[in-house]
Amino acid sequence: MTDAALAFVGGLAGSAHCAGMCGAFVLAVGAGAPSWRANVARQTVYALGRIFTYAAAGGLAGYFGLSIERSMPAAARVQAWLAVMAGALLVVQGLRAAGILPSGWKGNAAGPCLTAAAMRAFLGQRSMGGLFLAGVFNGFVPCGLVYAYLALAMTTQDLGGGLALMAAFGLGTAPAMVAIGATGALLGLAARRRLTAFAAWCVILTGAIAIGRGLAYMRGPVEGQPVCPGCEAAASLS
Amino acid sequence: MIGPLAFATPADTLPAAPSVANRCAFCGLPAGRRSKQAPAIAAPVYCCLGCRVAATFCSAGDVPGEARRLLTRLGLAIFCTMNVTMLTMALWTNDIYADPFAASPSDFERLLGELTRYACLVLSLPVVMLLAPPMGQQAWSALRQGRLTADLLLLAGVAAACAYSVASVVRGSGHVYFEVACVVLVAVTLGRWLTAVARQRTAQALEALERLLPEMARVVRQGCEAVLPARELAPGDIVRIVAGERIAADGRILTGSAAVDEHALTGESVPTVKQPGDLVFGGALNVDGLLCVSVLSPPQGGALARLVEAVREARLVKGGSQRLADRAAAWLLPLVAALAMGALAWHVPRSGWEEGLLAALAVVLIACPCALGLATPLALWSAMNLAARRGIVFSNAEALERLAKVRVAAFDKTGTLTTGQPRVADWAAAGSPAEIVLARAAGLATRSNHVFSAALSSFARDLYARVAEPQGVRTWPGLGVSGVFTDDGDQPFAETFLGSPRLMHQRRLARSTVSNDEVERLLASPAPVTCIGWDGAVRGAFEFSEELRPYADRTLRQCRELGLRPCVLTGDREAHARRLASQLGVDVEAELLPDEKVAAIARLQRDHGPTLMVGDGINDAPALAAADVGMALGCGADVSRESADICLLGNDLAAVPWTVALARKTVRTVRFNLFWAFAYNLAGMGLAITGKLNPVWAALAMVASSAFVVGNSLRAEAETQLENLGPWPEVNGATPP
Repeated sequence: MTDAALAFVGGLAGSAHCAGMCGAFVLAVGAGAPSWRANVARQTVYALGRIFTYAAAGGLAGYFGLSIERSMPAAARVQAWLAVMAGALLVVQGLRAAGILPSGWKGNAAGPCLTAAAMRAFLGQRSMGGLFLAGVFNGFVPCGLVYAYLALAMTTQDLGGGLALMAAFGLGTAPAMVAIGATGALLGLAARRRLTAFAAWCVILTGAIAIGRGLAYMRGPVEGQPVCPGCEAAASLS
Repeated sequence: MIGPLAFATPADTLPAAPSVANRCAFCGLPAGRRSKQAPAIAAPVYCCLGCRVAATFCSAGDVPGEARRLLTRLGLAIFCTMNVTMLTMALWTNDIYADPFAASPSDFERLLGELTRYACLVLSLPVVMLLAPPMGQQAWSALRQGRLTADLLLLAGVAAACAYSVASVVRGSGHVYFEVACVVLVAVTLGRWLTAVARQRTAQALEALERLLPEMARVVRQGCEAVLPARELAPGDIVRIVAGERIAADGRILTGSAAVDEHALTGESVPTVKQPGDLVFGGALNVDGLLCVSVLSPPQGGALARLVEAVREARLVKGGSQRLADRAAAWLLPLVAALAMGALAWHVPRSGWEEGLLAALAVVLIACPCALGLATPLALWSAMNLAARRGIVFSNAEALERLAKVRVAAFDKTGTLTTGQPRVADWAAAGSPAEIVLARAAGLATRSNHVFSAALSSFARDLYARVAEPQGVRTWPGLGVSGVFTDDGDQPFAETFLGSPRLMHQRRLARSTVSNDEVERLLASPAPVTCIGWDGAVRGAFEFSEELRPYADRTLRQCRELGLRPCVLTGDREAHARRLASQLGVDVEAELLPDEKVAAIARLQRDHGPTLMVGDGINDAPALAAADVGMALGCGADVSRESADICLLGNDLAAVPWTVALARKTVRTVRFNLFWAFAYNLAGMGLAITGKLNPVWAALAMVASSAFVVGNSLRAEAETQLENLGPWPEVNGATPP
């Protein structure tokens, strides 16, 4: 499986988790839409904005991974370490979402947030351009899952690769978000919890695969194309 | 299971689920395990930072149209900047991947490179056109006034970067630095916007107080009730306030009694029961009764409005650290310009124009004194707002800074530590009928302004005693009053004296001839005693008791915990003062006349350090003015007293240690912010001058620094949301700076 496809599935599965936090935003985007079609159009534009931000961040991460590799000696096996780190981050995120690890966020009362007014202003926009920008801003809202996938994008060590990975992730989250926003319905809490648990295990699996790949790189030769163990096995069979 | 939900925090509509884990207050999903003990205050818990941020977004107010347009500009600029950054990195990737053994790049690669460069140019245009003009206007208007601003320097750098990049694109070779120009513009605008929003927030926080005054009021005129705008209220109007409504203007209660919540004005968390004749503030909440109030002053001139005005004026006066920051900023910019020029001159001959330009731009960015200008005022104003919400008014920010340094807390006794409303505790008569003694005492008391006289009069009134009418009343300052009573049979023409034992002694009214055990006992007590006598003998004595204010002992203990040395200065008698000293465990200096109090303050300052004096601002004005910081209690509708730096609307002594702790915390925040602003500037400067700092990083660091300083300063505001749930919080022992 290529990285991008894995990220798409991860986004799809993780939608249930996203619904909790970002669901409120898409509901706001859809509020007041004159018809169902117009609502879907809005949601699509909004989602495109979000995907744009993710893709840009993914590209940046990919380039960052590349430049780290270039600036460190080859023996440091940067790629391997990046993969292990990204995998670990993903596993931790997944475990937290599954409720196995404590969340660790000492939430206190929502303090003064200076960008809150900005977000609110954008969410209330009626023009498509404004909605797109709202999506762009939404992409910057702190999300552990996004950061974990960004770490994975870093391991691609390629501008285009990182971009593609994060774009795939964003596309994976899009159907659920558009659906929620268009129908104005949020799943019941019990269903959401179950889906979140399922999504959490998907994320843990992705993380485990990344760790495995990283460990394989560490043991492998310095030069040469590193391959996914699965593909290597398939190639050796044929 | 699927159902429509309105746009609100989804968790609101769900029933409380019986589970072990905490629930995120925003998305309803589990938010980590429950803590071992239940929290004392029910603060909302979030499962992640994102939910917390999202919750703030959803509860934010609306943005006016003007700001919305600015935000759209910013959003569009950010979008374009991201694209430019991506394209530039693609260019760099090409550079990295370029085959070192190829003679020259293939035609396709060259074409792709050129295309990318043109794309960068095109996408940078919107950013420049959107964000540069406002900065340019600021820089130009400052230049016309002869001032050099950071905006000017930054714009020069951005223009240079753009010009060089355009030249590269046209020439077809050379690096492009469009991303530098774009990121710099975006970062600077973002930083300025954060600052503006933060300032606006501190202003708005105060206006929230003004909004407590209701817009309409029920006015009763000539027996008819009408609902009128509160603005039209005039002194003398009668207003009816129903339970649950806020009082529209300062006034005196005519009929009805109710519990009135003045928390917003005085910080007292427990509503007090007000009776006819009591004063009430506009903006206070009538909890559970029906009140008819006679208006004393219109809402615009009431205590609340004056409090807000006083705080606004206080902001205009700059404190010590603000002046320091201003002075620093004044010579900082020319210095920065010189350093940038120097960097340019150093790098250009050695590494070319590009390196020189980048270095100069980085120097200007990292040295930008934005954080410096922010660090001080924001934290001070935020603290003053916080205090104002508890009915504490600082006359200026400097008072806040001085308060943080005090080492001694001197308190006046009567009216400050005690309620200032004595009652007659016991009395005795000797040598004359008790009825006549009481009648004459009451009669003279009504002609005197002393607090003891008021207590005597009300005592007599409570007993339904006869009050005799004196003739030829004379006042003996500091001692008492005297008069002649002709309407009872007892020595009609002898002058009757009512006053302190010292007056009795002066007037040669002896105790030995007619006094009995009762009178002797009263005279020997350490409590304040007033005597009445005529015709050569003391005929009666009245003993007064003074109530200590609630929490007086706790306040003094908290002062000690804060490292302050508490001390009481009073004009009262030595014996009584010593009893108070042992009761409260503090030093007491007694029998001080007003100028002796000033001398005592000077002694405390010399021996122990900066001194805080707490009094009522009227009777001990000289002492308040002489102290390093003077705090006046019970200002009420007066809001500000000339002699006091800090005025408290209410009478709650607990405000004293709380305010000192607030001042210390604020000064620490200011110092930390200033230190941070300087430190990161210096560190970054070293990197920038040597050419090792990319302007993009410098710009991002600048925004991060501004955001950090702003967040730190406003943090105090966030903590108040928890404090509002309880009475004065216990102060932790903040060490003096």
